[in-house]
Amino acid sequence: MSRVRHVAVVGRDAALWLSALVLHRAMGPAGVTVEAIELPSHLVPADVYTAVPSLSGLHAMLGLTEPDVLRTCAGVPMLGQRFVGWSGGDDGFVHGYDLRQPGIEDVDFLQFWIHARTRGMNVPWEDFSFAASAARMGRLPLPDADPESPAALAPGYHLHARAYAGAMRNYALAQGIAHRATDQVSVETAGDRIASVRLGDGANVGADLYIDASGPDAALLSALPGGEAESWSHWLPCNRVMRASAPPLHPLPPFGEITAFRAGWVGRFPLQNRTALVAVYDDAQIDASEMAGTLARIAGTSLREAPEVAAFASQARTPWIGNCVAIGEAAANLDLLDAVSLHAIHAGLTHLLAFCPADTTDMPESALYNRTMRATFESLRDFQITHYRLNNRTGEPLWDRARATPAPESLEVRLRLFAARGQVPPHDEECFQPQNWAALFVGHGLIPRDHDPRVDLMPEREQIIRFHTLLAHIAESVRPMPTVAQYLAGPTAG
Amino acid sequence: MSERQPVEVVIVGGGTAGWMAAAGLAGILKPEICRVRLIESDEIGIVGVGEATLPQMRDFNSAIGVVESEMMRRTNATFKLGIEFVDWGWQGSRYIHPFGVHGETIGGVGFQHRWLRAAQHGREWDVGEFSYAIAAARANAFDFPSSDPGAIDSTYNYAYHLDASLYARFLRDFAETRGVVRTEGKIVSVQRDGERGGIASVTMESGKVITGDLFLDCSGFRGLLINQLDAPFEDWTKWLPCDRAFAVPCELGGDFTPYTRSTAREAGWQWRIPLQHRIGNGYVFASAFIDPDRAAETLLANLDGAAQTEPRMLRFAAGRRMNSWSHNCIAVGLASGFLEPLESTSIYLIQIAIQNLIKLFPQAEIDPALPAEYNRLMDLEYSVIRDFLILHYRANTRDDGELWRHCRDMEVPDSLTEKIALFRHSGHIEQTKIGLFSPPSWLSVLLGQGVRPERYHPMADAMPLDVQLAGMEKLHTRIAARVAKMPSHAEAVADFCPSEAGRALRGAA
Repeated sequence: MSRVRHVAVVGRDAALWLSALVLHRAMGPAGVTVEAIELPSHLVPADVYTAVPSLSGLHAMLGLTEPDVLRTCAGVPMLGQRFVGWSGGDDGFVHGYDLRQPGIEDVDFLQFWIHARTRGMNVPWEDFSFAASAARMGRLPLPDADPESPAALAPGYHLHARAYAGAMRNYALAQGIAHRATDQVSVETAGDRIASVRLGDGANVGADLYIDASGPDAALLSALPGGEAESWSHWLPCNRVMRASAPPLHPLPPFGEITAFRAGWVGRFPLQNRTALVAVYDDAQIDASEMAGTLARIAGTSLREAPEVAAFASQARTPWIGNCVAIGEAAANLDLLDAVSLHAIHAGLTHLLAFCPADTTDMPESALYNRTMRATFESLRDFQITHYRLNNRTGEPLWDRARATPAPESLEVRLRLFAARGQVPPHDEECFQPQNWAALFVGHGLIPRDHDPRVDLMPEREQIIRFHTLLAHIAESVRPMPTVAQYLAGPTAG
Repeated sequence: MSERQPVEVVIVGGGTAGWMAAAGLAGILKPEICRVRLIESDEIGIVGVGEATLPQMRDFNSAIGVVESEMMRRTNATFKLGIEFVDWGWQGSRYIHPFGVHGETIGGVGFQHRWLRAAQHGREWDVGEFSYAIAAARANAFDFPSSDPGAIDSTYNYAYHLDASLYARFLRDFAETRGVVRTEGKIVSVQRDGERGGIASVTMESGKVITGDLFLDCSGFRGLLINQLDAPFEDWTKWLPCDRAFAVPCELGGDFTPYTRSTAREAGWQWRIPLQHRIGNGYVFASAFIDPDRAAETLLANLDGAAQTEPRMLRFAAGRRMNSWSHNCIAVGLASGFLEPLESTSIYLIQIAIQNLIKLFPQAEIDPALPAEYNRLMDLEYSVIRDFLILHYRANTRDDGELWRHCRDMEVPDSLTEKIALFRHSGHIEQTKIGLFSPPSWLSVLLGQGVRPERYHPMADAMPLDVQLAGMEKLHTRIAARVAKMPSHAEAVADFCPSEAGRALRGAA
């Protein structure tokens, strides 16, 4: 029986450095040393990290400040994603990252909206979202806005990926985290545990705990029994990712734009010095050269250089086996929708700290960790599948198939309850809260058939007043907010 | 679009479950949404469901608009800060499961890890000394929690001991003034809806036929309606073998405790619930392990005052009904399952059933997604409570009865096995969003029953030991200093909610 004293983090890019930083920060003071084994980067120059607002919490824990991160990574703060061409409607919808779900007493405001809609009110649901409204107006609240206000919002980010990974690397090295670079690793196993990791130069690395942050191939975990991946491609059907860059947008929008086309989707993510373009598509529907043209056309811009193409497959593994814990894409390779890749890393680390192994030889914490992370990843997966499942593009094989493929039962149950009553069932381990699911479902055209009867207890006249009051409050809150450029310039620039 | 019609709700049975449901629906949904009729027979006695409650009951009462002092006065209620378990883990042991936290979480590390670390360094504190609720309970003191989150006396919650029959009676008045119609009489038959598969109507002894859109089966163990539907009973007696109880009230005596006491006995356990005018007592036992006469004798020999009646025997079986919402029928209370009152969960389970029903309240034509979600939520509630109760039996080292040896060796649900093993390994307790019993509850019972972690969270070592120990000393002192200024439980009750019976007794004394 002995304590974990040494942790080896093997991986690359953000997953490697965030893991090393978080573990060093949390466990270093308790006498644990963390060593980073760096594999060659998978990032291409055009890569972008898109992050939901929880990233700012991770940065705060690490002692990173927002202005520094945005400056170093050409970052743009953002409040959501706009989805165009998925389920009809030229204007698409914005999934805004609201912190709160508005309600009247115990009843969600959505319930009043469902009812009002049947009475002929035609204001879209997203107009009642602070985040979506601010995003569409090109504005976002200053970081020091009152967190108790109903209008309180925290931004997510678009970050130049190489700059971000590089900044995290520099930060980790500045903290004194030991580091070795290698072109490859091989794993020496003993039963379901890792005995040591051999580097390209023949050196052996031993540790009490190994973190696999190596990306979808899971260089460490996949060497262990039970470390094989389970495919999710059935539901998340795209198999290629294309990345490119275009000139920066003026003005900078505080949201990403995700446009569906016949073979997949194209994402346009604003950065300060360029626009990152990403296409996630099915190569059976379109070849790479045609895709490059389509990418530029949909983005409405010219590409700065030839795009890069990589294979992609959505999948997941049991993240903790023996003395090895996979973090990020090594644990679950999700679609690139919804800005969750860094969140997935963050969630894996948060739970690892909570279920930190207390002993080197026996790690029963893994069962609870694996169940928790499974629920976390499945929830993210289901959120992404929703975009495909609820698409309304007919006559295109990819989309017809996506619509016809039954979703996992966990999602089908959610869809049925929402369709019946506009409710999102409460679950443990959720990145996206009920207001996010509601924005997603309604945005994709799933309008509940019925509402909570408690809505009927409020006189209709008063309901109308409440609608007007909320819309006015949103408009008043958004109007004085800075534009992205003003936000980036800082409060003193006024 | 046409206005929707109110849903016709028929509640069968008028005990605690029936009247809580009637009051909940009438208080929150109003007659515009549902018209409620409750059928009960004065000839059929009610099982006075457990007289001790959980803090969640305060939310229910305030949501429907009950005035706390009035409710307490009319039900002879007292305050409750937790449950004391005597002789449970082993003879001579004693711990309180409080309505409140132990210490605080610092830097993501729960208090138990710092407590364990202190113990490993020779500072063996009673973990209960770091719980405000426990300190107040031990002092037989009560005061309302502070609403200032920085105050030490904001770290606890409270519930009630009350007369459940009077609570039902109180809610009956409440419900009837809000439009609930009470129908007296016995039901002689139940008619199914051939087309939709649910309940179409019930026929009264008088020949009167009562129809409805939605039926709540609050008929107790009999499950008059739910028994007709596809809602099989899942038997949990292999884990919870107690199947009978003797109940007897006695005169006031001993301490006027702001907590329930549960004392382990040879073949079960005895409850002690102080009300304003008497003490409720009972012996829950497993008939396979003791002769009922002996159980009754044991109970009568262990009262703090003179018995007021002959002991009354109840029979039950642990388990719950799958699909307690089936078609247009929802079983609430004992009709939906039974768990012994060890952790005062009976009224909570009624309450959560009503709250979930209100959240998912259907139209006359029921969308199947609503019962599906309702049953999912109720399954989670029941499973968590089941595991928590089993823990009390499984983790014991008593050697005075066959029941205890049996329970110590029994196979328990995997979910519980894992929980105990992980706590023993490293003091971890999982936090969940849905269902009862947050980590502080598990902590108090696991430790109290003698499950001692072998290790603590590695990050607990991040704080210098002397800093940690000084922080613990300070916390301990803060709690003791504030508790010393609290009024006694008796004073708090006399001041806030004196009942007639309680006042009469105090006047006589």
